[in-house]
Amino acid sequence: MKLFPRCIAAFCALAGASVVAQPSFTAPSPQPRIVERADQRQSEYLARINEVLVWRASLAHASRPESLGYAEIAAKLALRQDAARCSQRLVALLREPPNGDMFWMFPMVCISFLGRDQLSAEAQAAIRAAWRSYFPSRGDTENHWAMYYTSLYLMSELYPNEPAGSWYSGKSSAENLAESLDYLVSWMDLTTSIGQGEYNCTQYIGEYTIPMLYLATWAHDPAMRQRGRMMLDWLLAEYSENTLDGLSIGAHARTDDTQVLEKWNGLSSFYSWLLFDNCPPPDGYGGWGVFFAAVATNYDLPEVIYRIGTDRPDAALQRDLKRTRNRWRNSPVRRAPVYKTTYLKHDYAVGSDQGGLNQPSQLHSWDVTWAVPDPRSRHNTMFSLQPYSAVAALQMYYTELPGNLLPAVVRTRPSYDSPDKFLGGSPYEQVFQDLDTVVALYNITPGTRFPHVNGFFSRELVQLTEDPSGWIFAQGGRCYLAYRPLAPFEWIPTTQGDRRLYSPHLQNGTILQAASAAEFSDFGAFQRAIRALPLTMQMEPVPSVALHTLRGTELVCTYGQPPIVNGRVVDYAAWKLFEGPFLNAARDSHRLTITHGHLKRVLDFNTLTVSDSVTP
Amino acid sequence: MTKIKMSLLLGSLLTATALAGTAPKHDLLLCAAINKNYVIGSKIVTQNGIFQRGSDGSFQHIGLNFPSILNLSADPRDPRVFYLATLNGCVFTKDGGQTWRIGTSWDMTEPKDVCVDPNAPDNIYLALPDGIAVSPDRGATWPRRENGLPNRGKYTQTIEVDRTTAGRVLAGCESGIYLTEDGAQSWHRLLPTKAAVDDIEQSPLDPQLWLTVTQSDGAHLSHDGGRTWQKIPGVPADEALYNVAFDATNPQRWAIASWHYGVLTTEDGGHTWTARNAGLPADGHVFKLGIDPDTGRLYVSVYQNAIHVSDDFGRTWRAAGLEGSSVYNFVFVPKTAK
Repeated sequence: MKLFPRCIAAFCALAGASVVAQPSFTAPSPQPRIVERADQRQSEYLARINEVLVWRASLAHASRPESLGYAEIAAKLALRQDAARCSQRLVALLREPPNGDMFWMFPMVCISFLGRDQLSAEAQAAIRAAWRSYFPSRGDTENHWAMYYTSLYLMSELYPNEPAGSWYSGKSSAENLAESLDYLVSWMDLTTSIGQGEYNCTQYIGEYTIPMLYLATWAHDPAMRQRGRMMLDWLLAEYSENTLDGLSIGAHARTDDTQVLEKWNGLSSFYSWLLFDNCPPPDGYGGWGVFFAAVATNYDLPEVIYRIGTDRPDAALQRDLKRTRNRWRNSPVRRAPVYKTTYLKHDYAVGSDQGGLNQPSQLHSWDVTWAVPDPRSRHNTMFSLQPYSAVAALQMYYTELPGNLLPAVVRTRPSYDSPDKFLGGSPYEQVFQDLDTVVALYNITPGTRFPHVNGFFSRELVQLTEDPSGWIFAQGGRCYLAYRPLAPFEWIPTTQGDRRLYSPHLQNGTILQAASAAEFSDFGAFQRAIRALPLTMQMEPVPSVALHTLRGTELVCTYGQPPIVNGRVVDYAAWKLFEGPFLNAARDSHRLTITHGHLKRVLDFNTLTVSDSVTP
Repeated sequence: MTKIKMSLLLGSLLTATALAGTAPKHDLLLCAAINKNYVIGSKIVTQNGIFQRGSDGSFQHIGLNFPSILNLSADPRDPRVFYLATLNGCVFTKDGGQTWRIGTSWDMTEPKDVCVDPNAPDNIYLALPDGIAVSPDRGATWPRRENGLPNRGKYTQTIEVDRTTAGRVLAGCESGIYLTEDGAQSWHRLLPTKAAVDDIEQSPLDPQLWLTVTQSDGAHLSHDGGRTWQKIPGVPADEALYNVAFDATNPQRWAIASWHYGVLTTEDGGHTWTARNAGLPADGHVFKLGIDPDTGRLYVSVYQNAIHVSDDFGRTWRAAGLEGSSVYNFVFVPKTAK
């Protein structure tokens, strides 16, 4: 279990307490545009980096020493300001025992490297001493280990040939380096063969990209520098194809209660702002954003990734393979595959995985997100879920005894054990997506803690119509939506002004069809088209749906069986690591081809080479 | 898991104040976290890790300040050498706690238990969420030893070496109790279970007598060194049982800790069981317990509350310090001879 959302909150609270402006946070939302000239893209990117650093550095007031924390020191060092004051403050800060585990380690790495030629000898000695005296937790999941081992790797390179007694680990610099290298390469091998474990996380994007940026910038070993740069490209390419106007959409291994509804409000939007300039940055630049920004001048976003994030055809279907994090028990497999589908349109995006307990607590299995001119405070999404809560499921991923596990999870994720939650996976959910049609079936075991389905209906929907046919029609932005609950329901208002579709039936389901308003003469035409779709369904013995979609696909989905598309059974075993117009890779290939228009970049981890080409 | 380690421990860290006559023969060490609601990355505001009971009954922190030290085991030949099961892996010291080393590498995480073979103390057994590792060289290397364990179902919560026979070890896994008699070269299952075995203990008075408690299969008893097991009918099995302890001062007294049931005791060798929770915090949950082998005093950790003790085997209780703590393990070790 971990702290990240709390840290973000703390950072944002700190930032919020300041009266210093965050220009892009308060400015009008960027309008979609494509910057064609590379030099202009670069200069604007550098200007955004500077905005973050100047803002963060300005939070430190000379009259309040405590206002100069690690983030402010990193910003100042990146700006090459106040090195003497930063040194004095570091020495003072490190007189107290450090805290924060790997969340302390990577800021220390940032400060150590930025400060190599700026910090006083005393400050550098204080940092070095802390890496002997402070025993940080390694954590219990891959993002922790990415931060931990990247930090240990770089510090061991920074201080080579030092004895075991000079490190908290009791291992020499060479031993630390070898262990860190072994882990990082192992993680990269796994991720480039069967997919990322904590995939498309709206918050944890920072916990992976910051370490990779640091490796790309500071690793002494050119092979590790190259690996860091390539993994950064890999992660950001994945990110780019899972966004709509900068908003992180679709299925996520982890997100949080805020961002599952207000899609913009999280760290991922910082990356969209910084790299694509297509949405506003979140408050405080996402908290950890400063630690990326402090080094971001050393990363040049490949144009092909920039284009995927900003310059889309009107329809793009991408299928990706991911995996669960480690399952220690209560599972026949150590890591289960996750089959992701993402369908991107200009007006909306639909994304999903196959359902199930793909992560312990903050999984988001599917949604529709519609485009909005300014995403701030908007709930521009629709989805359903079964609000599952069970100790046995938590024990699959956590190694704790059962009694204290649920209270421990609820302390950091209060919604986990709430019947009205809108976040989390369920073993009783099976999802299939064909383009902009989603079929989510629920076969809930009797005795389940919350034996019902929640559907999220945004306060921003217009023209919401409960049709006698059983369909619920609505419009979000320029997107028409048809939502078909498969069992009776009632409406329950939420505290934020949205509505929850509450359906307390064990055999249950949702069919969702999205379309662009521009495809129809009016809303009534859309409704007539949906009503005319052949649809049969049965709930016993398990939910089953046979549907002719708006796009002409014959879809048969039966709970517990693979879906059938136009008469052919979906073969998940044939699912590639990436397949689509933008990203392509075979399983176990360690080789990703990133494509947009005439541009192509190939990341080949077998040879540690990056090759760019332009098709005439 | 209450463990009476047949060893000398902690060397200079322990106060070797053995007095003639009534002086306790064992030190009590706790693996405990006091930092309420600590999660990875959060601020540590108190001391955590290993605590030693002082002569006045108070507890003094020693060693690393780390909230995730779950168990410890010592080398009986050298009181300066002991091993910790921590979230970061197996951490050990060979100089009485002056320096520490994370013995395992990245590929072994979150061990739940560690046990030195008292008859072959170069060998250290480590219970891992994904199996079992054994160091044959005092922690220098940690090869996995999982021949005979299932590919899945080898989540290992507890591991206990038979103090009478080198290389004879019982492991409590997700799928049951497994035995090796060849130093973990091979394992075979003795008792299948539906979920994790939470604790296995060997009687300090009768080496053939073993007890085990489980997450969903109740408690079991063995009179033949763990070869066969009988379910104990008087112990409820609907909820998890966390650990079990023998009273070395009375062969008829055993106790079980359970989050849901609290303290369960028997004073007739397991025939009848009584819940002894009156006097414990009403809204608390019992986490782990231990029994002082010198006095029969029952120690209980109430989760994130305090240690409570009973000198009448659970009939009455009093708070005994470490407010806010959760004790992962009560470890009684023979006092260092000087």
